[in-house]
Amino acid sequence: MYSSPATDTLDARSEPKQGNKWGLKATISQIIIIVLLGLLVFLTLVPILFMLFSSLKSNSQIMGNFWGMPAPIKWSNYSEAFLTVWRFMLNSVGYAVAASILVMMLSAISGYIFAKKTFPGKELLFLLMLGMMMVPGVLTLIPSYVLYDSMGLTNTPWVIIIAGAAGGQIFGTFLCRSYMAGLPSELFEAARMDGSTEVGVFFKIVIPLSLPILATLFIMQSVGVYNDYIWPLLTIQDRDLQVIAVGLTSLTKQFGVVDMGMQFSAYAISSVPLLLIFSFGMKYYIQGMTQGALKM
Amino acid sequence: MRRTFRMFLMLTMILGLLPQAALAKDKWSIDGAGDITSISIAQDGSRLAIGSHGAKANVYSSDGEPIFGFDAKNVVTGVQLMKNGDLIVSSDDRHLYAFDAKGTKLWDKNMKLQIKGISASLDGLVTAVFTQRSENVVFIDPATGDPKNEANTGAIIKTIKVSPNGKWVAAASSDHYIHLMNEQGEVLRKFGASGQIMSIAVSDQGETAVGTESKRVEWFDQDGKRQHSISTRDSATHVSYTADGKYLAVSDLSGYFYLLDNKGKQLWETKINGQGRNVELDTDGRILYAGTGDGQVLKYDVGAIVSKAQKQGKVRMGLWAAASLVVIAAIWLGLRMMKKRNRLGVFLDIWKSKWVYLGLAPTFILLLTFLYFPAFSGLFHSLYKWQPGTRTTFIGLDNFRRMFHDPYVVHGIGNLLILIITGLVKTIIPPLIVAELIYHLRSKRMQYGFRTAFTASMVIPGVAMLLVWQNLYDPNLGLFNNFLELIGLGSWAHGWLGDPKTALWALIFMGFPFVGILQLLVFYAGLLSIPVELVESAKIDGAGLPRIIRSIHLPLLAGQFKFLIILALIGIVQDFNGILIVTGGGPMDSTYVPALQMYYAATKFNDLGYASALGVSMFVVIMIITIINLKFIRTEND
Repeated sequence: MYSSPATDTLDARSEPKQGNKWGLKATISQIIIIVLLGLLVFLTLVPILFMLFSSLKSNSQIMGNFWGMPAPIKWSNYSEAFLTVWRFMLNSVGYAVAASILVMMLSAISGYIFAKKTFPGKELLFLLMLGMMMVPGVLTLIPSYVLYDSMGLTNTPWVIIIAGAAGGQIFGTFLCRSYMAGLPSELFEAARMDGSTEVGVFFKIVIPLSLPILATLFIMQSVGVYNDYIWPLLTIQDRDLQVIAVGLTSLTKQFGVVDMGMQFSAYAISSVPLLLIFSFGMKYYIQGMTQGALKM
Repeated sequence: MRRTFRMFLMLTMILGLLPQAALAKDKWSIDGAGDITSISIAQDGSRLAIGSHGAKANVYSSDGEPIFGFDAKNVVTGVQLMKNGDLIVSSDDRHLYAFDAKGTKLWDKNMKLQIKGISASLDGLVTAVFTQRSENVVFIDPATGDPKNEANTGAIIKTIKVSPNGKWVAAASSDHYIHLMNEQGEVLRKFGASGQIMSIAVSDQGETAVGTESKRVEWFDQDGKRQHSISTRDSATHVSYTADGKYLAVSDLSGYFYLLDNKGKQLWETKINGQGRNVELDTDGRILYAGTGDGQVLKYDVGAIVSKAQKQGKVRMGLWAAASLVVIAAIWLGLRMMKKRNRLGVFLDIWKSKWVYLGLAPTFILLLTFLYFPAFSGLFHSLYKWQPGTRTTFIGLDNFRRMFHDPYVVHGIGNLLILIITGLVKTIIPPLIVAELIYHLRSKRMQYGFRTAFTASMVIPGVAMLLVWQNLYDPNLGLFNNFLELIGLGSWAHGWLGDPKTALWALIFMGFPFVGILQLLVFYAGLLSIPVELVESAKIDGAGLPRIIRSIHLPLLAGQFKFLIILALIGIVQDFNGILIVTGGGPMDSTYVPALQMYYAATKFNDLGYASALGVSMFVVIMIITIINLKFIRTEND
């Protein structure tokens, strides 16, 4: 839908354009740029730094000596926070993985079919998918809740997993379709000549060649489910099934006295799964984000 | 239908003003009666007895002619007409009275305690009363008033009812339980209602229905399993079954009277001025008597409604059959047409691609069930009053009209406009500046390093980030106020989120310095794609950096601008995550947005029709934005 002059990858950086003057003026401007960027990075990260800093303090340290270093360092905040939120985190990770695997499977199959097959009604079915992308979440939020509720799915893990899978597969199908359309059809033909079945072609050729896009999908989807707040808030009441996003907001309400250090530790702990997935798959995530943006 | 009834009602009211002209009075008043506490209809429907708070018990013929009246010494709590024409009256003056058909007192029994109610089977063989703060149902001999036996329920009884055939006695206790007994008073089942029970009804089959203070009517089957439940507009003061349990009449405290079928579907309702205190259906559900809080009794002929409802079921069946016939005929015709034109090959193609369809089936089943169905349900229900559990009634555009009178929505739209304007600035300017700065860095490693540093905040879950920001604004322990004090501006310290004047701006400021990750990456990629030669030749022509940015970068990033702007618009209109977590819309209504009001309408007020209408409105706004944008882009490409 969008035509944009941008090329595909960020790393395909062409020659620096700065030219030939390596004078003092250029060096000073470089330093100014670095200082400016450094300041902006610092400001962007202030909340995170503040969170880490405060997570090691006790309530009295925060109140009494706001700017002081955490002394003594209160590591017990972390153990206490972990005991409170591990259940929520485990739930969230479980839902995220389950939903993402479903999305990968569904998107890979329908992406392949839309990319490489011709059949009656293909355009109609594809339009049906395209149409849903136009429908914003606000329209479906409340009726969806009623639907899941009437199916008896609320307050079960399924309400998160199915909703994640149903919503994520649309974007996933688009992503897979455009990626798989780029795979050479001759390859499939050759495999078929060699006696491979359709299912064989799919699993032996299509899936291995599409692993990068599937990784992108997995990471984007699981980050999405992990960060989701409104839907679980609406549909899950059971504390044992609750997700981390909702769990974090209930920390304040659980104890009479707000243990701020512990809260900040909980926020920090809740970042660990995201930290892990980004340290392995940042590249894929950024790819998915920009590709999704540009192919829309 | 309702209109004819209103006209009928108005007509009867006019006739009521001219008593000599009215043959059958359909509304009559009892002076000094106050609340109508009980109504009893004779089995043949010819007479009815009315007990009232004003210590009166009156018997009328069905056309409203008084037959006789009796004044007790305290509130009349119950009246019961027997098959033989006798009337038994229970009263707070601790007496049970019995009268014959002409009004001669037969007996008068002192029960030593205030009698709170009476109910009897049609034949009178099972007649039960209960007294103040008692846990026992007392069965009496209707001929003498002597107690025969008692049944203990273990909790203080609020109300009782005997089924018309006398096989079932239902007693509701103050602990929200229903005790279903047989004629001997053995408790067979005990089950709970969702609120304090104000009234109970029991059918010949042992099905019960209760009206509760918590504005609900609930149906239970013989085994005490809840079958249906609906909401009324106010506390359901009285419920009354037909003998077969197929129809139920309900009155509520706001003066509404309802007629419902045993599936909880509303067949009819009416509203009077004042309170609805009592309602009674005759055994076959043809006449409904409604008692008010000010001594009036209204008579409604609902027989037509009931028989219409019965017919409707058959009509619907017929419609379905007709519709399916039409569909089959259409398919057959279509096939014939295709055969003539030799286009049947498409079915062969479809058959050949059966595996393809099978592969797409899971995707499309999910898509249709969990996305398309709710979307259409939202569109459809925005025109309805929709509260699950109650009947969904069509109200046209009322939900939409209501939005314009809802101060939260009106104020919310204002807030939303502010959020959109600031949001657009936030989404474009800081990321663009940062992208330019990074682009102009000479060292590739530095570029990569800064890009990664700006994306680092992704590792914090969105909700955690919001909560940290909420903490930064804390009046005492927040970073902002402490920082202001540190630099000597302590007098500026403020309860940023607690003050309606600053709350919205505090929300907007969240995320400072607003270097959005997606936006940054999109701009950066856009800058990288600008051909180097273009910039070089501009330089040779003597263009400075500002000129290059203005004349080359910005025009060539137009696509990115458009994309990011539309994404921001769509996102801002829908988003209420941050507001819900950080301020909840408060203080007062200072940070409401329409999407938040939608969420509250659905969760706090259970008003799903209104919530759907708000969702549909936002959908329309987003649709318009998208269409304008698509048009815009097409002209650009031409």
